[in-house]
Amino acid sequence: MLVIAGCGGTPGQDKPDESQQDSSAAVKTDGFESLGDVRLRAVFSEDSGGPRNAIRQLTREFEQKYPNVTVDVTFRDFASWIKQVKLSLAGDKPPDVVAGNQGYQVDGELVKAGLILNLDKYAKAYGWEKQFSPLALQQFKWSTDGKDFGEGSIYGIAQSGQTTGVFANVAKLREAGVDPASLKTFADFEQALATVKSSLPASEPTIMLGNKEQYPAIHMWGTIQGAYEPAQQVRDWIFHRPGKTFDTEGNRASLEKLAAWNKAGYMGKGDDYNGRAEQDAANQFGRGQGAFFLGGNWNAQTIVDGLGKDAMYFNMPPGPTGKKAAIGSASVPIHVSAKSKQADLAAAYINALAGRDASQPMVDNSMVPAVVDPTAQPRQPFAREIATGWQELLDAGGLTLYPDWSSPTMLETMGQSFQELLAGRASVKDVTSRVQKDWDGYNAELGGQ
Amino acid sequence: MEVSTPSGVGEPDARAGPGAAEGPRLRVRARAPGEPRRVAYLYLAPALVFYLIFAFGPLLYTTWLSLFRWDGLTVGTWVGLDNYSQVLSDPSIRGSFVHSLVLIVFFSLIPCALGLLLASVIAHSRVRGAGFFRAVLFMPQTIATVVVAIAWTWIYAQQGPINEALRAVGLGGIARSWLGDFDFALPALGLVGTWVMFGVCMVLFIAGIQKIPLSLYEAARVDGAGRVRELLAVTLPSLRGELAVALTITTIFALRTFDLIYVTTSGGPGSATTVPAVLVYQNAFSNGRVGLAAAVAVVLTVVIFAVVFLITRIVDRDPTR
Repeated sequence: MLVIAGCGGTPGQDKPDESQQDSSAAVKTDGFESLGDVRLRAVFSEDSGGPRNAIRQLTREFEQKYPNVTVDVTFRDFASWIKQVKLSLAGDKPPDVVAGNQGYQVDGELVKAGLILNLDKYAKAYGWEKQFSPLALQQFKWSTDGKDFGEGSIYGIAQSGQTTGVFANVAKLREAGVDPASLKTFADFEQALATVKSSLPASEPTIMLGNKEQYPAIHMWGTIQGAYEPAQQVRDWIFHRPGKTFDTEGNRASLEKLAAWNKAGYMGKGDDYNGRAEQDAANQFGRGQGAFFLGGNWNAQTIVDGLGKDAMYFNMPPGPTGKKAAIGSASVPIHVSAKSKQADLAAAYINALAGRDASQPMVDNSMVPAVVDPTAQPRQPFAREIATGWQELLDAGGLTLYPDWSSPTMLETMGQSFQELLAGRASVKDVTSRVQKDWDGYNAELGGQ
Repeated sequence: MEVSTPSGVGEPDARAGPGAAEGPRLRVRARAPGEPRRVAYLYLAPALVFYLIFAFGPLLYTTWLSLFRWDGLTVGTWVGLDNYSQVLSDPSIRGSFVHSLVLIVFFSLIPCALGLLLASVIAHSRVRGAGFFRAVLFMPQTIATVVVAIAWTWIYAQQGPINEALRAVGLGGIARSWLGDFDFALPALGLVGTWVMFGVCMVLFIAGIQKIPLSLYEAARVDGAGRVRELLAVTLPSLRGELAVALTITTIFALRTFDLIYVTTSGGPGSATTVPAVLVYQNAFSNGRVGLAAAVAVVLTVVIFAVVFLITRIVDRDPTR
């Protein structure tokens, strides 16, 4: 009756004592040949083929460098892994290296529970502060109690850069007489939407959207939000800086704009895009449905596979803020389990996966390396556009991260209320107040004001 | 629970014999002949132990967890009944229970009605290949729910067969992505449940009808009853037990359904198809609200018990007893 006997106690475990981790201990960055036969277990959450190939190849190179080291790599799909990673790391024999996810829903909880290793000493040894831009590295920093996000110690690094922006079908733009090079401002882009719509058949959406998962509409809105709301303000809100609110002029204006675009029929019928998954939308866009696709650069390979030379990618032109900004961040962070017996080796593996020298396999697989000066550059024009998209936002300080990082429940709150806004079942005011209520609730839990 | 010791449970008492201090011990018959013997508990024990460990224990533990605010990892905080007050006050959680009630109509009431109708038609008719039709109608029940869910996602899709059929007959105007529509998503899922469940109701009822003595039907016919009258006066009262079983199975299926909804809509669009089981999953595994998830689960369990209790009280009550 162990289960029933266990009923008497408070659930959960105390955080392991941090003082046992000797932060001043010398860090080993090479010479792992002397370890004898060792095995690392690693779990990643990349869904698509490109990133998986890159990880496999980089792992092979790591194993060739240290023939005594074997790395067991497992791939899980992102959506289910973020639900399992906490349980997996809380177990007795967790994997040594795991993919997490920025924000309070996953990483914050892992840090709070002491399940992943503080990597500060490795960051110093490998020079991660120099390899990554502060904006990218900020996403992996936490206070040791998991409450302050965006500052403190480094808990992981990531491989590639993710941005959201405008995919265009150049052939359709040409038919409508729109020159993509002429889209200098957000207003130009809006004008182009109207022009293109009139040249398309009534049954075809101007903007291809698939919002079954509820997050694609958030990503799409992020490209509009970037035009109206200063990026720093967006990030401060996500990081729970004191006194921040979602109910700002810029957010309201961008939500109004999202609803207006929907009303103008740019995205087609509501039940249509709500029943379509993001991957299906990218596929259909690749097959020539719709003139624009406003979404993440992880769809690049699917889209270029379909559209070929007609595929084009650029950041949303600047709006009232005068700067380019959109949802984007480094890809998911890679962590070392606090229970790993081979922490030094695991950190070396992470550095081999995401550090400066990992660029070539990533570029070969249509990824944008997250490091500031990658050793490899893409050659194809479309791949260069994707890389430029990341670089421009990085240079302009325009990565607005992901708004759902701001609380464990925000993905659900925003996903549902955005869908209701598009369906005309919620007003902009409903959305801002529901989102801010969620934020306030979690802010109180964090002990903020 | 008390497990009886071997002595005194019926086997000859070996210790009693000549030279025993009090002479031959009289065996006291504590029970009447044929009354259950206490050794029966021993036979029950293995199942009982499993039940306690794997069903009752977790239930108690879930109830215990529901009294905490707990992220699943770090030490939880005792919050008493706070989670329950949130279950009752949060409109989105209350809404999910309302969706469950809607699903009961589609998963339980309609299948039972449909099953009854089909059974009364099929049971006494001598159609060639009746067994084949019965098997076909029962088939949805034998398919894994995830497969059903994926198949119906395609059927309901914008370019799916339902919409193509509508367009073919000139009703393209009402064609839509059924699972993406705020108003139609829940009924659309409900119909999937109807399709899955009516077969099992039908088979139960056919078995029941075949037990009814034909003389009852003959008597009814002599009294001049038509088919409808026959159904109401003979078939339905005789099927009380089967009806209770069918309603119970289907209602439980409706209330605890998770996989069908998770695979097809994940509770969307908005929260139009969110049901308690989806909320339990989301809160426990994504949102780090294990206590709240446990509270929803406990309330769901209580609701299921209450509904099943009501069904057995109302339907399975034999008026002649």
